Amino acid sequence: MKSFKIIIGCLGTILLLMVVVPLLRMILAADPGILKTTVTEPEVTQSILLTLRCALWATLACAFLGIPLAYILARWQFPARSLVQGVIDLPVMIPHTAAGIALLMVYGRRFPLGKAFASVGVSFVGTEAGISLAMAFVSLPFLVNAARDGFFSIDPRLERVARTLGASPWKAFFRVSLPLAWRPILSGGIMMWARGVSEFGAVIVLAYHPMTAPVLIWERFESYGLKYARPVAVVLILLCLIIFAVLRGIAGKHREV
Amino acid sequence: MLRLQDVRVTLGDFRLHDISLHAKQGEYMVLLGPTGTGKTVLLETIAGMHQIEKGKIFIHGRDATRLPPEKRNLGVVYQDYALFPHLTVRKNIAFGLELRGEPGYKSRKAVREIADFLDIGQILDRRPVNLSGGERQRVALARALVLEPYALLLDEPLSALDRSTRDRLRRELKRIHKEFGVTIVHITHDLTEAFFLAGHLAVMKDGHILQEGKPEDVLKRPRSRVVAELLGIENFIAATWTAGVLLSPMGPIDFSPPRFDFAECPKKLYLTVPGWCVEVLPQKEEKRYAWMGNMRVAGVDLMDGHLELELSHSSGERLRTSVSRREVEALAVSFEIGRKVPIGLLKEGIHVIPQ
Repeated sequence: MKSFKIIIGCLGTILLLMVVVPLLRMILAADPGILKTTVTEPEVTQSILLTLRCALWATLACAFLGIPLAYILARWQFPARSLVQGVIDLPVMIPHTAAGIALLMVYGRRFPLGKAFASVGVSFVGTEAGISLAMAFVSLPFLVNAARDGFFSIDPRLERVARTLGASPWKAFFRVSLPLAWRPILSGGIMMWARGVSEFGAVIVLAYHPMTAPVLIWERFESYGLKYARPVAVVLILLCLIIFAVLRGIAGKHREV
Repeated sequence: MLRLQDVRVTLGDFRLHDISLHAKQGEYMVLLGPTGTGKTVLLETIAGMHQIEKGKIFIHGRDATRLPPEKRNLGVVYQDYALFPHLTVRKNIAFGLELRGEPGYKSRKAVREIADFLDIGQILDRRPVNLSGGERQRVALARALVLEPYALLLDEPLSALDRSTRDRLRRELKRIHKEFGVTIVHITHDLTEAFFLAGHLAVMKDGHILQEGKPEDVLKRPRSRVVAELLGIENFIAATWTAGVLLSPMGPIDFSPPRFDFAECPKKLYLTVPGWCVEVLPQKEEKRYAWMGNMRVAGVDLMDGHLELELSHSSGERLRTSVSRREVEALAVSFEIGRKVPIGLLKEGIHVIPQ
């Protein structure tokens, strides 16, 4: 028993160190003076805010569309179910630059859907909408899969009983299924948002400008080298860490109730 | 009140085969059957949760075949009670009332009344996770009853409970039925539960209703060996009807059951002999026995209040019976394996079914 604990403890620690060491190294290596200047640089703050905002829009839009799909996958049995599940997982597997190209070929100005959106004043190339779209495309599996697992873990008889007590399918969903599945949904939402924040490949194809933080880091690295790219990365990491900890804390707090 | 007419439902490989049932107003109907026989599917079909392929369902005189569950006004209580874990007991009970748009004061009054009736007034602010099995069952009943449903559908409501709670709640169900006068359809695989509660009994297996009627009638006259077995009858003596005489390997049986048409029945039969009809050391008048003779004790199982005996006849036939400990003392016989004991088969419980 003791050796079992020691071995699995060591294995877990190795993995943890693989994540922590590079991040810590980068944070500690940052020059406080440059870090301070970077935080106050308008280009950096705007870029970070843009990233956080676009990831939020992407998450909210996917929650609106993805939660119903997650419910369908958890509750309904239909022939193409596995296929639909595979399609949802696809963005995780394909290279994100390829995802960006695929999106460009649908929402680009020269393509029918892009033209249709452009006719109502919405453009996805070089805009916040494009960044959000790219973020949504690559990170939606996190939300949809978490929500699906959440709904799946709820006994369907709870919904059936709600129906016999007078609830329509909508009311059963909103008063029973959704309140019971909200924690996995929130957890999936946080993961999706975080994944959106870190997205680079798909975003750079659709919208190099306005620059999100990952694009800015890349651009500074290419143009000025590691010394000038690192502070932006550190600011982004620290900010995400704080937001992540707060959101996880909220989810964990409700778990104890 | 609740009538099913040739209802057929197919769910994957399983099928309910043209079920017809009728529960009268205020009747306590028990559907008895082994696990996996389709009892829950039938109950959920009545509640409107499964699409009907064929047939009709009438609730309160109205064709409810196409009505969604929320329009049927039927209360459902599942085996594990399916209480909403995110709501307190009070909110669980008030759930349906709120959906109906009952004003707050009315809803609170109704919740309080049903909680008092079921003795759960002190747990109204608790969450289901903090309740015992018995309390959960009462809450589930309260949640269904507070809406004054046309009928209450109970899906093995006692099977998740320990024995003493089960015995107590069985009596409680009888009281609820008496006080509310609500029609109840209760499914179970438990014989004691079925006979204790049923005003009308339906025996079910593999998606078929095999027999229905008053519990005592079904028990006295099972239609087939399968029904008899489901009713807990363990003794089946093969017999033939030849020249007006019932012949078994144990010898002739002096028995002609009422309401049984031997002219139409096949020659090969089974005598169904409930355990209580197998009398050890028969002491009643001889004409009350269909058969008397000696059998050897082949097995003895000591139970809490009685002995389970397995008896063997020289022909190879075996019978099972039980003798209470008080009877054992009164008989002053020791039931050692191999010992011969006089046995009598009481006519009053024996029945004949085709082989």
